[in-house]
Amino acid sequence: MGKKLSVMLVLVLVLVTSASAFANWTGTITLWDAPRWRDENDDQFHWVKAKIAEFEALHPGVKIELIETPWAELGEKLSIAIAGRAWPDIVPVDISGAINRTHLEQGVVEALDAYMTEEELEDFFPGALQAYTYKDKLYGIPMSMTVHVMLLNLDHFEEAGVEPPVDGRWTWDEFVEKAKALTFDSDGDGKIDKYGFSTYILQGYYEAWPFFYMDGGVPLVDNTFGFTSPEAISAIQKLVDLKFVHGAAPVEMGSADVGGTFRALAREGERYVAIQPWNTWAIATVTGEGVNHLPNVMVAEYPVGDLGKPVTIGGAGGWVVMHQSNKDKRDVVVEFAKFLSTPEEQYTFATEYGTFPARKSAEAMNPFADKPHMARAAQMVEHSVPLPEHPAWAQIDERIQAELQLIFAGEKSVEDGMESAAAQIQRLLR
Amino acid sequence: MFKRIWKARSGYLFILPKYILFTIFVLIPIIWSVFVSFQEYRVFGTEWVGLLNFQDVFHDDLFWTAVGNTLRYAVIVMPSSVISALILASLINPLKRGAQTFFRASFYLPTVASSVVISMVWRWIFQTRFGLANYFLSLFGAEPINWLHSSAWAMRSVIIMAVLTPPGMGIILYLAAMASIPESLYEAATIDGANRFVQWWKITLPLLKPTTLYLMIVSTIGSFQVFDQVMLMTQGGPGYATTTIVHRIYNVAFRDFQFGYAGAMSMFLFVAIITLALIQSKVLSGDVEYKG
Repeated sequence: MGKKLSVMLVLVLVLVTSASAFANWTGTITLWDAPRWRDENDDQFHWVKAKIAEFEALHPGVKIELIETPWAELGEKLSIAIAGRAWPDIVPVDISGAINRTHLEQGVVEALDAYMTEEELEDFFPGALQAYTYKDKLYGIPMSMTVHVMLLNLDHFEEAGVEPPVDGRWTWDEFVEKAKALTFDSDGDGKIDKYGFSTYILQGYYEAWPFFYMDGGVPLVDNTFGFTSPEAISAIQKLVDLKFVHGAAPVEMGSADVGGTFRALAREGERYVAIQPWNTWAIATVTGEGVNHLPNVMVAEYPVGDLGKPVTIGGAGGWVVMHQSNKDKRDVVVEFAKFLSTPEEQYTFATEYGTFPARKSAEAMNPFADKPHMARAAQMVEHSVPLPEHPAWAQIDERIQAELQLIFAGEKSVEDGMESAAAQIQRLLR
Repeated sequence: MFKRIWKARSGYLFILPKYILFTIFVLIPIIWSVFVSFQEYRVFGTEWVGLLNFQDVFHDDLFWTAVGNTLRYAVIVMPSSVISALILASLINPLKRGAQTFFRASFYLPTVASSVVISMVWRWIFQTRFGLANYFLSLFGAEPINWLHSSAWAMRSVIIMAVLTPPGMGIILYLAAMASIPESLYEAATIDGANRFVQWWKITLPLLKPTTLYLMIVSTIGSFQVFDQVMLMTQGGPGYATTTIVHRIYNVAFRDFQFGYAGAMSMFLFVAIITLALIQSKVLSGDVEYKG
């Protein structure tokens, strides 16, 4: 009896000590974040600053240092920080890019399973959790989900006298016909200056990729390169033909940069392309205020090919907690990550930032009640497929995209390009 | 030896801050990259792999594509920057002091500007639809060129940008070297009936040999290290048409996290540059005396 009492006392002491250590941990947490939506002062970090102030008020002695980083630089800066073992404590990335499987295997990122209750996990959409899971461990707290959609400038459609697709659904043939009709000479100088469609091919970007899936092809099948299949070749060829055979896309289709492509759709004074595929963040941009506001815009699905249903590529965003050698600090950092990912915050992201909540309870708040474009985009989540999971995906992606660039520049045939990619990728897949 | 150092201590103290920075930011990283090139680098715990990374480099097609692209760039940019600096300095040197200062400042200004800014400007110039380059071509009825996005033109565009960016540092160095050539040599040549071109060819050019050698070495190193222009203008594409050695090293290190492999490529670059510099030095070196 006395022995049992002693053990109980020791256990209680341990619990009290660790609890007090947790409560008493003071110090600085470094948070990297990238621009979100603007407030009235044009501040794109106002949301995270407000959350930091709230958290610091709840935890005296804990200071959160915010490092403001552009999205375009976040990945590279993080890679360099990891190389120098000077990483931040918490960062908004997924685990397929700057943070990847290699980092997870090397223990650079904290697994968070021990910090999540069954009840909490139940509240997340399985796809969101899957995006942060590797070898059955959860390596981040999902904050949002996204898909790629087609954005249509309806003023361009009206000018060309073309009817938009009914309810945003179309077959490939219908899409081609409309893209051709949307390509015309608007100022009568004898030169085509308005185009039906455009997109770009760059490493790490997948706006064009759902087209490549539309006939049933996928990039990796059982650790084998799949874009050499007849289904993938046929789908890529269709998009190439849109430019070179049908003339419904400008010369820079496939080669322009992200900003240049977006301006061609949305920028006031440019707007020479009617249809472009974009991640859902673009919906908030074209429906918001500013030079990229499109007065008449429509959200549509990717056209349906031989597969018989539309396909889109989905992704997830969230908070990753980097390796912590101090357990007490880790507890506070994870608490802060959870503090940023509550259903209320995910609802705010959905209404203000153009993302879909990763939590069911946030979705239940109906964030898109007055946002029909986002509501339409949300319907496409069911058609979304994730990118392949492979430790060397960044290198595989680089090889595929490099060949696609040459194909869309008209320098290689689809077959030659994909065969060349297959030869290069084979070594990485081994 | 210590006595000598102690005697010249004020001089050593003046250069000490520079050498501390050099040691921290250049020497130690170079030594570290030598070590890392023999390892498979991991954040927590690395593994010694001997020459495996070097073997991989020799079997990496992309690396050799990058070597080819870098050579294409260096073969044109290095001589053109040295020759254009020499020609511009020779044209500026005979001018009056005020005009000389004006041109010296004008040509040096782009050197002060960040290469990022210059690359961004050139990206706009080469923009297919709205760029100045294609507008200029259209004035002559020529078809627009897809400058940065076709394999045939992408590297040419990067080279054009490098060639047309004034070699400010080279001009300044040549002007300084020209100013130190004794005037008596030109006076004697004039008496002997040599015209301005002959004087330039027989006196100026040979006496500028040390400066030319220095500029050739520095320019070769710079050309082999071309990175930011490529990164900003083409990101190494289309395909791998503009991927250079340093761009490849950067991607392998900071995207693929293969620091050992990147270290091995860096060693290759290091040896290539040293070898070229030694060859240039051997071929071009020779005593130069300003005999009055």
